[in-house]
Amino acid sequence: MDGLPTHRLIPDLVVLPGTREELVAVVRLLAALGVSFVPRGAGTGLSGGALAAEGSVLLVLTRLNRIVRIDRDSRLAVVEPGVVNAKLGAAARPAGLQYAPDPSSQSACTIGGNVAENAGGPHCLKYGVTANHILALEVLLADGSLVEIGSPSGESWGPDLVGVFVGSEGNFGIATRITVRLTPLPRAVRTLLADFTGLRTAGEAVSAIIATGIVPAALEMMDQSCINAVEDSVYAAGYPRDAAAVLLVEIDGRNSDAVVAETDVVTDLLRQSGARSVRSAATEAERERLWQGRKKAFGAMGRLSRDLVVQDAVVPRSVLPQVLETIAAIATHYGLVVSNVFHAGDGNLHPNISFDATDPVLKNKVEAASAEIMQACIAAGGTITGEHGVGIDKMRYMPLIFDAESLGAMQAVRRVFDPDERVNPGKVVPVHACREWTHARGDRVGSRGAAPRGEAA
Amino acid sequence: MTILEKVTALLGEGAVLEAGTDRVPRVAPGSPDAVALLLGTAHQEGWRVRIEGAGTWLQSDAPADLALTTRRLDRIPAIEPSDLTATAEAGIGLDQLRQQLADRGAWLAIDPPGLAGRTLGSVVSTATAGPLRHGFGPIKDHLLGVTFVTGDGRMVQSGGRVMKNVAGYDLTRLQAGGFGAFGVIVLVHLRLRTLPRADVTYVLEGAREDLTQVGEDIAAAGLTPAALELVSPALARRERWVLAVRLAGSPALVAADEAGLGAASGGGRFSPLRAEEAHAFWMRLAEGFSVRPVTFRIGGVPAASDELLDLLQHQLGDEWISASPAAGAIRWTGDTNIDRLQRLRRTLAGLEVPLTLERAPWPLRGAVGHFGAYREGVGPLVAGLRRTFDPGGALVVATEGS
Amino acid sequence: MTGIARGGFEGLDACVHCGFCLQACPTFLATGDESDSPRGRIELMRGLERGDIAATDPALISHLDRCLGCRGCEPVCPSGVQYGHGLEAARSRIAGSRPVPGVARLALWALTTPGISSVVYWFARVLRATGLPRLLAGWGRFGFAMGMLAATRAAQGGGGRRKAAKARQVAPAAIRRPSPPLATLLFRGCVMQGLFSHVHDATIRTLGVNGYQVRDVSGQVCCGALHAHAGLLDEARALARVNVDAFGDGDEPIVVNSAGCGALMKEYGRLLDDLRGERFGARVRDVTELLAGSAMKGPVAGEPLDLHVAYDPPCHLLHAQGIAVQPLKLFAAIPLLELVPVPGAAECCGSAGLFTLLEPEMSRAVLQTKIDRLREAAPQVVATGNPGCLMQIGAGLAAAGSAARARHPVELLDDAYRAAGRYE
Ligand SMILES: Cc1cc2nc3c(=O)[nH]c(=O)nc-3n(C[C@H](O)[C@H](O)[C@@H](O)COP(=O)(O)OP(=O)(O)OC[C@H]3O[C@@H](n4cnc5c(N)ncnc54)[C@H](O)[C@@H]3O)c2cc1C
Ligand SMILES: Cc1cc2nc3c(=O)[nH]c(=O)nc-3n(C[C@H](O)[C@H](O)[C@H](O)COP(=O)(O)OP(=O)(O)OC[C@H]3O[C@@H](n4cnc5c(N)ncnc54)[C@H](O)[C@@H]3O)c2cc1C
Ligand code: SF4
Ligand code: SF4
Repeated sequence: MDGLPTHRLIPDLVVLPGTREELVAVVRLLAALGVSFVPRGAGTGLSGGALAAEGSVLLVLTRLNRIVRIDRDSRLAVVEPGVVNAKLGAAARPAGLQYAPDPSSQSACTIGGNVAENAGGPHCLKYGVTANHILALEVLLADGSLVEIGSPSGESWGPDLVGVFVGSEGNFGIATRITVRLTPLPRAVRTLLADFTGLRTAGEAVSAIIATGIVPAALEMMDQSCINAVEDSVYAAGYPRDAAAVLLVEIDGRNSDAVVAETDVVTDLLRQSGARSVRSAATEAERERLWQGRKKAFGAMGRLSRDLVVQDAVVPRSVLPQVLETIAAIATHYGLVVSNVFHAGDGNLHPNISFDATDPVLKNKVEAASAEIMQACIAAGGTITGEHGVGIDKMRYMPLIFDAESLGAMQAVRRVFDPDERVNPGKVVPVHACREWTHARGDRVGSRGAAPRGEAA
Repeated sequence: MTILEKVTALLGEGAVLEAGTDRVPRVAPGSPDAVALLLGTAHQEGWRVRIEGAGTWLQSDAPADLALTTRRLDRIPAIEPSDLTATAEAGIGLDQLRQQLADRGAWLAIDPPGLAGRTLGSVVSTATAGPLRHGFGPIKDHLLGVTFVTGDGRMVQSGGRVMKNVAGYDLTRLQAGGFGAFGVIVLVHLRLRTLPRADVTYVLEGAREDLTQVGEDIAAAGLTPAALELVSPALARRERWVLAVRLAGSPALVAADEAGLGAASGGGRFSPLRAEEAHAFWMRLAEGFSVRPVTFRIGGVPAASDELLDLLQHQLGDEWISASPAAGAIRWTGDTNIDRLQRLRRTLAGLEVPLTLERAPWPLRGAVGHFGAYREGVGPLVAGLRRTFDPGGALVVATEGS
Repeated sequence: MTGIARGGFEGLDACVHCGFCLQACPTFLATGDESDSPRGRIELMRGLERGDIAATDPALISHLDRCLGCRGCEPVCPSGVQYGHGLEAARSRIAGSRPVPGVARLALWALTTPGISSVVYWFARVLRATGLPRLLAGWGRFGFAMGMLAATRAAQGGGGRRKAAKARQVAPAAIRRPSPPLATLLFRGCVMQGLFSHVHDATIRTLGVNGYQVRDVSGQVCCGALHAHAGLLDEARALARVNVDAFGDGDEPIVVNSAGCGALMKEYGRLLDDLRGERFGARVRDVTELLAGSAMKGPVAGEPLDLHVAYDPPCHLLHAQGIAVQPLKLFAAIPLLELVPVPGAAECCGSAGLFTLLEPEMSRAVLQTKIDRLREAAPQVVATGNPGCLMQIGAGLAAAGSAARARHPVELLDDAYRAAGRYE
């Protein structure tokens, strides 16, 4: 079980290594026995990536949670995979630095999980996603060997294996030590809350801001049903309950004059685009409250119903207004409650569907609506996941965006790292839809044990 | 049938160009599909193919049966200024692309070394970033997706054209800096920025150590330059080392940084360059790297940059150097030999500093390789990837040296 | 009260597995095992309710036994999961299908049975008076128990323990007394009365200074919290009924200085599922609530005390009762007293009622982190308003060889008032 309510699996064995040496020993043993395994961080993943099926061993990495060092001069930190994202941020702060990627789950999720999913977050609009902040990795491959990839400067030894590993959803091996880039803390921050009476106008305001060339640190949108869920929770932030949507816009920088000037431009734009009101957080406490509301929105939506599916898709920013309308139409058609809370500046949508998983009819409707939403996003030029990953949940959509050849290429790369497909098996690439890339397999060792797979269109 | 006849039959007359001085037939496929067809055939026939970009500059010296140039893959299927994305074929010249983007108010914030007409594909495949990496990151940070053709003629897409994308494994980053070892890039989806409304450059001459200090002060003062480049006298064609600061962005931001610059340099010794001067300065810097025979880059943490510059000076002579210390990158160009390069690479490896050979005549790059001194366990992975994407070894690339 | 049909399990329905509670859970932080986290336990409890997991399942039992019941997971949950209610329901099911562990039975019997407990506490006090327990304090089972006992002793300089026995009937000093003084009823409890009567004395005196008259109520018994946490809901209910009767149907506030007791007593309505219980619950006030006053003006100021104090909010005060600021008002009323910040102060100390006896390993693991951080912050006093926490932290400090003492916040205020001559 993780953050995804529609899937639940029970592993054969759960191991919680306390040191890297223990972890290596366990993986070597599993290699000798030919048993597959699944790395797991905090289990906040939203695509079922950390679920282990029968016959697999779950390797829980939460105890490998040491911050090995923080280097202020070279602006980097070396951490073990189980370090919680927010704790790294807190540890870097005294040095005037931050770890920029801030998934909304940052108070719980681990850096290892972030690396595996290439996690994003509200502030990734300006600062980039996890992949932009990982300099080097020590990875433990399925055969039990440790390999160091990347270097402290970010320049790689040869091809960019770090880039390939980040976002591999635990399929290429376990990240056992992670070197991350830290960036200077912004010195000036302005946070704006703009409220709109229509989703469309809010969407248009997003495009207008992007077009100015000002890159806000964050540009987030929440619709009414989400606003109300937050306002009902302990994280109530004072969002206007009668707004159709609110935009949370943050401008930051190292120079306060520039930040003020940019904030003025953005405030005017928001007003011109039809914002009913634009409020600026007056104090750090108020800013914190506005953000807590946003970051805990997914949890807060738990109030709406027993279960909740968080979808994740990305569309070109300019089509946001149309896509939001399409999603609303799909929701109406299936009679479902869909709430939106998302990274508007990146076009990264998170439609959340509330339902009761104990009702099989509803569950089917949710699946059908999800699929339609995905199709609408793809048709608009988008993709099926912007930060939560494919896991098991999204495998069925992979053939909609990649042809058999490209899926085959992914599968083949995975086998370079893990010839027997023992790490986190059965995820990400739908093998039945791959064109097989067998020819290269002959020269590789250890290719026994792979299941036969068919050719597909 | 000769190779040339077979290729003509496959792709038509128009695709075959005049052979270069080494008489290797040169083919310019007109579409991604044609690239796939050609490489598929090459794989079956056992031909060895070398990839060229614009081809105007590349010394066609790699031993091959066939040279594949991407020069006819020069379309720009999409520019979306409102989304700040564009899609371009790999053979488009950067200057041409830049012009078309500028017409729509968009900007690709990269300034790689080499000539202005350098192809997009060559920049991506060699991951050669210039001074703008200080403010906007390495080449890979500007890519949303690529389509490439493998050494055995398969066409593979990765990524997409939206701002965030984690669908499937990231093969885009494998291609960025793969030097063509994992296939020929045919199409690139790019992340753009709006054309900066203010763009100014300041320079300061002085002793290297002093300038390094000024660079650190600028960072400490919280300025956010687009480029902060330390250039050696020979390359800058000046008496002493030069620290060049480029400020680009919204007028408010640039004005604020300009005000801060004087303070950071201890009393306004920086002199501004006029627009044409600035343009000429950065151009010269880029072109300088394609004049001398050998160019390489090394990556070291900011705190080590002084030490690394000393090391380069000591082992190779300081020749032509340009460095973005805060971004941890140093580029060197000049003349050297196999032995010295290999020794340098080993020394640097001991300091956790990778050396990537960007260009050199074939005898040297064939021996030294673009990459080398891998960490334990990396070699087999690279070899495995190479076998996966070019099972027959059709693509001639000096990946690791011999 | 709704949902009694499901006995509290309904409180878990809101959980959407977001995982935000993980980092707030001391047992998860200690083991890193998801099954020792709120989310994992919720999943187990849901299984128990559905019948997928038997109430006798050893894994279920061990993970639920290892829950401190501190409810640190509740205030961080954006979805409003009522973990405590679910836990009580689950424990009650488990208790119904297995004998309560011997240690727990014995401890409950010895500590809460009128007649028996007075003998036990008497022995304990005699032993404490010898000063031996502090010398013998350590991390082992015996040493730790000795440390806990030593921690119940009134601190030096706090003084006036014997005099206080008289002070109980003495009218509060006539300073800033609103006329007429407000009547309140003191809840004495079992452990508090047995080992912390000096805290009761301090409570009476400090409330007196602030215009409250504290009256004793006869016929009261243990609040039943220890039983409820052990899943012995029926026994807890029986105790609750006795207390409801003893305190009668007036409206005087019922003062409690033990956070654990207060938390349960405020919930008597839910426990008993009746109106009298609910009315009783509405009258219950933590002593710091009364001292801080309804407008949060804080108590009358005392004489300056040059002390470095670390405040350790008891889980049952902070999470279960939502009382965060009121205790701070007490410190604010003592000039010079400096609060030293300790990271993770709001995390559980691992005491959790009988937990420290039943799950010593987990309990010590949780405590260890806190003690390490306390040693770094180096306060002279660790203030906390719950007997279990006072003993647990006190024992930890003693075992770690720290000179710092664990004391109840009202004891500090009491010292400041005494120094100010308010009791003369
Ligand atoms: C003597 C001499 C030797 C040189 N040697 C090299 C060298 O070894 N490597 C080098 O990069 N530059 C080399 N150059 C310099 C380089 O050609 C120029 O810096 C650059 O401006 C030329 O750009 P181009 O577009 O012509 O790309 P090219 O120089 O034609 O291509 C550069 C590299 O990118 C690869 N490449 C180009 N397009 C693609 C594509 N679509 N997909 C995959 N790979 C692609 C090529 O295989 C080549 O390795 C050399 C120049 C000289 C004068
Ligand atoms: C409320 C909520 C909000 C969220 N908000 C965001 C958001 O804003 N942005 C975002 O990107 N995501 C978000 N997520 C998704 C999730 O938090 C991220 O995917 C996160 O990176 C997962 O981290 P984890 O430690 O929980 O990993 P897990 O869920 O435990 O694992 C995720 C995957 O990573 C693999 N893995 C874990 N550790 C390692 C390792 N050391 N080496 C190799 N593989 C490993 C696992 O096998 C699995 O496939 C949110 C989730 C929730 C519940
Ligand atoms: S925070 Fe609340 S909703 Fe989230 S996992 Fe914990 S109990 Fe469940
Ligand atoms: S009550 Fe305390 S120990 Fe139990 S799950 Fe909640 S936070 Fe953890």
